[in-house]
Amino acid sequence: MGAVLKSFAHNRKALTGLVIVAIIVALAIAAPWLTEYDPTRRVGRPHQPPSWDHWLGTTRIGQDVFARLLYGARTSLAVGFGAGLLITVVGTIFGILAGYKGGRTDEVISFFTNMVLVVPNLPLLLVLAAFIGQASPWVIALILGATSWAWGARVTRAETLSVKQKDFVKSAEMLGEPSWRIMLFEIFPNVISIVGINFVGSVIFAVITEATLEFLGLGDPKTVSWGMMLFNAQNASALQVGAWWDILSPCFALIALGAGLSLLNFAVDEVANPRLRTGNTLSRWSLLMRRGEGRL
Amino acid sequence: MTADPLLSVQNLTIDYIGAEADFRAVDDVSFDIAPGEVFGLAGESGCGKSTIAYAINRLHKPPALIRRGRILFEGQDVLDLDDRALREFRWSKVAMVFQSAMNSLNPVLRVEAQFHDLLKRHRGYSKEQSRERAAEMLRLVDIPPERLRDYPHQFSGGMRQRIVIAICMALDPKLVVMDEPTTALDVVVQREILQRIDELRRSRGFSVLFITHDLGLMVQFCDRIGIMLRGNLVEQGTSEQIYHRPQHEYTKQLWASFPSLHGHPVRLERASG
Amino acid sequence: MAFLFRRLGFYLAAFLAAATVNFFLPRLMPGDPIEIMFSSAGSDLSVENLEALKLTFGFVDGPLWQQYLTYLQSVFTGDLGRSIKYYPLAVTELLGRALIWTVGLMGTATLISFTLGTVLGIMAAWRRGSTFDVVFSVGAIMATSMPAMVLSLVALFFFGFELNWFPTGYAADPALDPAFSWQYVSSVVRHGILPVLTLSTVLTGGFLVTMRNNMINLLGEDYIVMARAKGLSDSRVMFWYAARNALLPTVSSLAIAIGTVLGGSLVTEVVFNYPGLGNTLYQAILARDYPVIQGQLLIMTLAMLTANFIVDISYVLLDPRLRSA
Repeated sequence: MGAVLKSFAHNRKALTGLVIVAIIVALAIAAPWLTEYDPTRRVGRPHQPPSWDHWLGTTRIGQDVFARLLYGARTSLAVGFGAGLLITVVGTIFGILAGYKGGRTDEVISFFTNMVLVVPNLPLLLVLAAFIGQASPWVIALILGATSWAWGARVTRAETLSVKQKDFVKSAEMLGEPSWRIMLFEIFPNVISIVGINFVGSVIFAVITEATLEFLGLGDPKTVSWGMMLFNAQNASALQVGAWWDILSPCFALIALGAGLSLLNFAVDEVANPRLRTGNTLSRWSLLMRRGEGRL
Repeated sequence: MTADPLLSVQNLTIDYIGAEADFRAVDDVSFDIAPGEVFGLAGESGCGKSTIAYAINRLHKPPALIRRGRILFEGQDVLDLDDRALREFRWSKVAMVFQSAMNSLNPVLRVEAQFHDLLKRHRGYSKEQSRERAAEMLRLVDIPPERLRDYPHQFSGGMRQRIVIAICMALDPKLVVMDEPTTALDVVVQREILQRIDELRRSRGFSVLFITHDLGLMVQFCDRIGIMLRGNLVEQGTSEQIYHRPQHEYTKQLWASFPSLHGHPVRLERASG
Repeated sequence: MAFLFRRLGFYLAAFLAAATVNFFLPRLMPGDPIEIMFSSAGSDLSVENLEALKLTFGFVDGPLWQQYLTYLQSVFTGDLGRSIKYYPLAVTELLGRALIWTVGLMGTATLISFTLGTVLGIMAAWRRGSTFDVVFSVGAIMATSMPAMVLSLVALFFFGFELNWFPTGYAADPALDPAFSWQYVSSVVRHGILPVLTLSTVLTGGFLVTMRNNMINLLGEDYIVMARAKGLSDSRVMFWYAARNALLPTVSSLAIAIGTVLGGSLVTEVVFNYPGLGNTLYQAILARDYPVIQGQLLIMTLAMLTANFIVDISYVLLDPRLRSA
């Protein structure tokens, strides 16, 4: 475990990603100290460009964009990590169960998983959200958790299948350990890298999808989140009237968070599967070759 | 050695370059192989024997690095060949049989295609010519030529290994390197394959570099043997010498781990010559 | 062959599942399902028309299973009801028209991104560890972390509004009549460039990374080493031995990716005001036009299953091990 963390720390991509995400989280937490405006109140004239009073300008109805961005970060992050956690938990449980138990359990779970996988995600979410009406971020997180676990389940199952063959699992079985203990204490710790990748990927997915659902008009209008900011801006024809700050602020916020999480994910993937590493693993080799200290 | 050796490995040293430290896989190894000879390299996994095998055809990729040494084939240093000469050299002079029969053949190409790309490259054969030559080669290993249009997965493990041997023969190489050629196969098939290789060797006159961890098998099959331990060639000699009068501690240990040492002696079944 | 039949059976089950979701959703929500489904009609629909609509969606007298079967019957005879907003336009007709544009957009974008991503992925894997690899791999990851929605908005803003290089909406110049004329077709192309390029950018990265990783995973295989030992040229080994085999898992990941492509396409259409399924759906959501909303789930599921099936067929064609099985 220590070695893993060490290689993680040395990985430039991991550090960059971590720093980006940490900054966003810090800004979200520090929102009340960074801005004096209430994100939902009308505090200025409509569609003002950025100024000293309003660092990122105002929206169509006079709200401060910067304040909305900061407070909106809280919602987007909370839903992102919350839904991401839910998706990962469900997917991991199903994956390990199917992979370890095999037989009937595996058949049933896999069939179910493949079915959920093949029905297109966004249309399903749209139908669900449309019927629910104005979905608050928590409801969105819940329906995301309920529908998007399939891919994670599949990869976790594959990983479980290969861990299942290992000696320490077999010896635990022979010692008579109950299945649930084996799955929790032997299998789970050994598929943790896949679970980690799954988690970060799910967070990215949740953040983007929540924003998308809200952008398409399925969110609760009272919510302050980046998705709702986009929805409001789009409805206010921000682009057409040239109010670029209104629509581009949440855009770049989403890009930043997405980039940070992706770098993190890439790094987790590389630590788990060192063969796929990019970056100069061959710097020393190239150096020696150039110095003529060897050939191939 | 009265005549010039076919292959002469001299002071070969190969490292695997890591981020901080290097791993010395092969340390100052020298040995010769005469024309028509069967030379065995024995040792446990990780001792460097496969590394040497790969080096002969210069198949290594980074982070492997050949630090020192020469690999002389018919007097010419393989390590000095430019890309073009190297590609011509490969397979036409030195062919290779790998360990996993399961995996040496491209799963998505028909057997005839896997002969044809080789023959077209080296001899400019047309498809028709390749098919003829391929059929000839398959007959050498007792595989019906009608099966040329099949895919590798349609053959058993043993048959696949025989196909690989047939492909090895296609350009009449002078040396065939065999890296654990029978380890993945069952004992009966192992025997057949080795007998087949021996027959082919005697009729076509190529040398064999035979790599395995199975010392008992090696003693039956090889003329001379080298014992490798952690990158060093610790002992070299004829099979008789290695079997009856092992010098190095490690060689003695290897023999001691064979239960048959306490039963009746293993007969050397190789025909002379 | 048996493989394909099994897949078809599975797809049928999946389609049924989607239809079942549609059936139960209004009945699971708090309140009167009929009220929920058709309230947006208000008093616009006559009694007979409302009755006909109710029948289509299984709101008949009788036990639940009978309602379910009635609904399934409608679905399998191609009757998805009528749009409330555009009454009496049939849902199938409304969505059918939009489907063409979506398929065009999605199809083109997928083709471009799959080809480009795969080729770049092959090159990145072959030049493992080089600057090329680092730049393109990291770049690919950054591109995929950008949601289609965001990229579309940014692209629209810069290239559409600010720089005015491309039109800012619609599939073609609204003043033109659809025809196979050069004028119309070129207008379609001009209007399609920005949405297609935006969507492609988001997707290419994913395919690049997938192909690269698949290649790297098999570059250590014995048949690759043997191919090099045979003295074959680098390009031959790269394409016919490595890439040709790495293509198999990449194609199967294409099947899964189609769902993402669909989602991305939907949002891109909304941003660019492109008359595809996404935009139609968006309008339907705003108007709470439930027959259309439910209909799109079925149509999109059908589209997705068809695309998956095409991928299955390609897989069988590409992998000889599946043909004799």
